[in-house]
Amino acid sequence: MRRIFFSIAAASILATGSLSLLQAQETAPKTYLAKARTADGHPDMQGMWARRGVQMAEANAPKSPLGEFGATGQPYPTVFNTGVFTEQDRSALASRPAGIVDPANRVLPWRPEADAARREFLSHMIPPASLKYVEAAARCTQPGPLQGDDRHPYQIVQRPGSFVLMYEYSHVTRMIPTDGRPHVGPNIRLYMGDSVGHWEGDTLVVDTTNFNDETAFSQTIPYHSEALHTTERFTMSSPYIIDYQITIEDPKLFTAPVRIEGNFVAAAKGSELMEFACAEGSQTLANIFGFGAFEAQ
Amino acid sequence: MLVTVPAWAQAPARGIPRMPDGKPDLNGLWQVLNTASWDLEDHNGALHVPAGQGVVEGGEIPYQASALGKKKENFQRRETNDPAEAACYMPGIPRATYMPFPFEIIQNPKLVAMSYEFGHTRRTIFTDGTPHPSGFPDFWMGDSRGRWEGDTLVVDVTNLDDRTWLDHAGNYHSDALHVVERYTLTDPDHVLYEATIEDPKVFTRTWKISMPLYRRLEKNAKILEYDCVQYIQDQKYGNAKPVGAK
Repeated sequence: MRRIFFSIAAASILATGSLSLLQAQETAPKTYLAKARTADGHPDMQGMWARRGVQMAEANAPKSPLGEFGATGQPYPTVFNTGVFTEQDRSALASRPAGIVDPANRVLPWRPEADAARREFLSHMIPPASLKYVEAAARCTQPGPLQGDDRHPYQIVQRPGSFVLMYEYSHVTRMIPTDGRPHVGPNIRLYMGDSVGHWEGDTLVVDTTNFNDETAFSQTIPYHSEALHTTERFTMSSPYIIDYQITIEDPKLFTAPVRIEGNFVAAAKGSELMEFACAEGSQTLANIFGFGAFEAQ
Repeated sequence: MLVTVPAWAQAPARGIPRMPDGKPDLNGLWQVLNTASWDLEDHNGALHVPAGQGVVEGGEIPYQASALGKKKENFQRRETNDPAEAACYMPGIPRATYMPFPFEIIQNPKLVAMSYEFGHTRRTIFTDGTPHPSGFPDFWMGDSRGRWEGDTLVVDVTNLDDRTWLDHAGNYHSDALHVVERYTLTDPDHVLYEATIEDPKVFTRTWKISMPLYRRLEKNAKILEYDCVQYIQDQKYGNAKPVGAK
């Protein structure tokens, strides 16, 4: 059934004149016209999705003392990755851009002093010299702009005037108003930042500011600054793929914007977001400091 | 199947917002204006505790005699043992509703999601006719399945973790807790919230709470963050030395 669906989608793309499915996908944002629309006329992206490729994996990164993000402590085996894709679908997707695409060589445009500071910071993380050096994810902090997870599903709900992106990971809910309202005042600082969105044709563009500096970019970039500003673009390139771009501007760390690309791919029918508890069961800080959530030092 | 719907829920409320499918439109930002999270029953003011009249129908929570001791012990230790306030754990259902923080209702024809500012907690209420999953563990926020009875959203909540409390006064429950919530828009800006609480291990009978939810009308109203896990970590560990640190 999945294959039949895929073939119909492929056939309809081919019918628009593209030479191959792969080529169609690469140019998809320009050629794909979403048939399913919400009542207010925008592409209907509602449903369950998996995120792929959205990581700031820099070239020439220092060795992380932390290991791979999410390598430990998964609360339960995900029911998700048995999704809709066949191996053929996966390989078609695998050839598409993912991760840092600008700069193309993935060497981040570090300010030298900021690069030195983060290398120094990394050297104090294992074992952590103090709470400040404990990895954000180990503190069950919300994931910030990039460290959502590619292993847990996402759900999109669209309403007139807002676009809602719900993560299973860390039970994050991003409420993205598209009603033209401005950002919150500059003294409000948020783990997930303050997002406002607008539609440019069939692309949802999301502008996010008001970040605090307590979330990480990656395993090797354990923080960012409050000056962080992101611009995300969500564009459907097929009924089961949303192309995703995020442009990262953090002038205190980098001398130029950094662009990352990835996708949201449709999840299996019947998938549901489950509960992701973190602090409720975590012994990480108790192990680091020797006393737990309900104990005095 | 014959479903008995109370007369007041059958009569369509006038002037309430509705979804394209005709169901009441609960989308928006809501908040209680009461002291239920401190104590569901009548209580006097105390330091950091506003006085309040109870929200329990009939006045008192019908504890089994053998269950009252634990409630009293919880009350004595509430400053250090309240899972939501001392450790910032997810507050569970129904407490999440009446924490003194706003929550957003996100509704489409298949689901109603509730996103709570306290601890950025969220739950999804499936309204697509699916049953509670079988063989699943307990969740801090339980498993919620909803249906519409006339203009009332009725939510059946099971699989609730026994480590949450019902309020800061130490009112508690077991893993046998079963909550049925009713959300009824009485006008565009008010929801009547009712919840029946059934727990045969702790209470002598099913009991009920009710309260209004108020729509947050500020033009710029939106959920912000109250990530108290991080605030408590800062307080608890901010000056602490890791084990083995020099």
